Amino acid sequence: MKRSRTYKELKYLIRRLAKDRVVAALSAVSSLPIFVLLLIIIFITWQGLTAFRMLGLEMFGFRWDAEYGYFGATPLIFGSITVVAGALLIAIPIGVLSAIFLAEYAPHWLRDVVKPMVELLAAIPSIIYGVFALVFVAPIIKEVFSLPSGLVALTSSMVLSIMTLPTIVSISSETISAVPKEYRRASIALGATHWQTVKGVVIPTAAPGIVASIILGFGRAIGETVAVALAIGARAKVSWSLLEPMHALTAAIIYVFPEAAYGEMSWYVCFGLGVILFAITFAVNTVAGFILRKVPKGVVQL
Amino acid sequence: MRQRRIWEKIVPLALSIPASIVVLTFLVVVVVVGLRGIGVLSWEMVATSIYHGGIAEAVIGTLYLLVGAAIMAAVVGIATAVYLVEYAPGGRLSRIVTQALNNLAGVPTIIFGLFGAIFFCRILGLGVSLLSGWLILTCMMLPIVVRGSQEALRMVPKSFRDAAQALGASKWRTIRDVVLPTAAPGLATSVILGVSRVAGETAAILFVCSPVLAPLPKSPLEPTVALATYIWLVLMTQPDPERALALASAACLVLLVVVVLLNTIAYAIRVYYRRRWGRIGV
Repeated sequence: MKRSRTYKELKYLIRRLAKDRVVAALSAVSSLPIFVLLLIIIFITWQGLTAFRMLGLEMFGFRWDAEYGYFGATPLIFGSITVVAGALLIAIPIGVLSAIFLAEYAPHWLRDVVKPMVELLAAIPSIIYGVFALVFVAPIIKEVFSLPSGLVALTSSMVLSIMTLPTIVSISSETISAVPKEYRRASIALGATHWQTVKGVVIPTAAPGIVASIILGFGRAIGETVAVALAIGARAKVSWSLLEPMHALTAAIIYVFPEAAYGEMSWYVCFGLGVILFAITFAVNTVAGFILRKVPKGVVQL
Repeated sequence: MRQRRIWEKIVPLALSIPASIVVLTFLVVVVVVGLRGIGVLSWEMVATSIYHGGIAEAVIGTLYLLVGAAIMAAVVGIATAVYLVEYAPGGRLSRIVTQALNNLAGVPTIIFGLFGAIFFCRILGLGVSLLSGWLILTCMMLPIVVRGSQEALRMVPKSFRDAAQALGASKWRTIRDVVLPTAAPGLATSVILGVSRVAGETAAILFVCSPVLAPLPKSPLEPTVALATYIWLVLMTQPDPERALALASAACLVLLVVVVLLNTIAYAIRVYYRRRWGRIGV
């Protein structure tokens, strides 16, 4: 059944191709994104698998020291996840609560002021956040915790939390605003107050969207490179204290790759790290996509 | 009952605290970057070469990169959107393309950098060059440009198309002479937003077109330096950290101004045409 439909569509496409050069050109161009995605997957895994093949299980060792040829990715994965977890701990409460405020309580004029700010917060390039971390966040962290250097995991968590806020705020508030009016009216007709309605009806309905916004925030934060690389301290170790320097997958790539020549071990290892990173973000985005589908229809576009 | 009423008063107040934190964060970032940059930046610095403590090449290099990438992404992105909206809405191909675009939007920029380094620079033999930079930025902008253009095209009223076709215009003539001009502001907005998204791209550009502080390219096959990579390279190579931070702050301010300007233009177009047309162009 499916197959015959594809076949029919293909036949239709071919006939149109022969007839209409415009359609031919347009359909060729419009399939470019498919090829780009496929090429990315193919080339990253191809180069990355070389590293896995050459290093074997060493790739998941506990020592990362690229200069001396130690390529254990465990501390990097650990660092990436720890830093992002720290960022989310800060960003989730602030982001979700302000999304509720914006969608439910803020007057129109205020919304029109805050929304563009949130959009701009998302538009500010990563490197600017990196410099912001160096000149503003790091000195504060250094003073507050009296550390020898302000470049520790907590600093990059703070900066990352700022960078994930827009994702969480905008997707959450969009889903909350999109909860159908009938739901609210029904609740209010039963005698519930505004807050009871929000708490008992609106938030549970919008919950999948809120969860998805957090997951998407996670996916974006873990792929964040420059800001993290500048703030994290770049010392690869497994530690439970956010007040120590760490290292991250993305940061390791950007520090090592510019120095790596094609064919060197470190070149392939960077791609290997890329494969790990790609796998994580791909999984995260897929999960978020599935959850978003549970939101009342027509609400959010990924 | 009274307790409930108190809650009704407390909750909005309590919720306004996190919201003001968000606003405050935005202001702090802008003010810190702005003040830091204004302290160092001068017109003279923008006009001075990067080898003499200025940022001229970085500014012009960014311009080169963005203009080239914008043209490529506009052509590919708008063509894709036209195909998806006008020729194959709801078809299998368009669903796969949409899915691919969604996935592309979620790919971390550093992965684009690695991909560009192996595919554009090595396999296609373009080397570390402006051209590779254009191509990789185009790939990164594509999801935004296509999505925005799709919205813009969908906003063109059906009556416009019907009127054109009633006059005997072919489908392509209708699109070329009626749909595209009507959707133009929306299409422009989507390209501008795409450009703003990649204006500060560092990792990918560092890998494919700007690995060192290079002079301005004489052809698209030569490397160039951009503001974002200039900041990174200065922080990495300048031996005096204070001086490095000063130079970086100046470049940051210029970059921030560029990004804010692009977003403001997009916003202005959107507001202006929404007022004129209803909701065309979103």
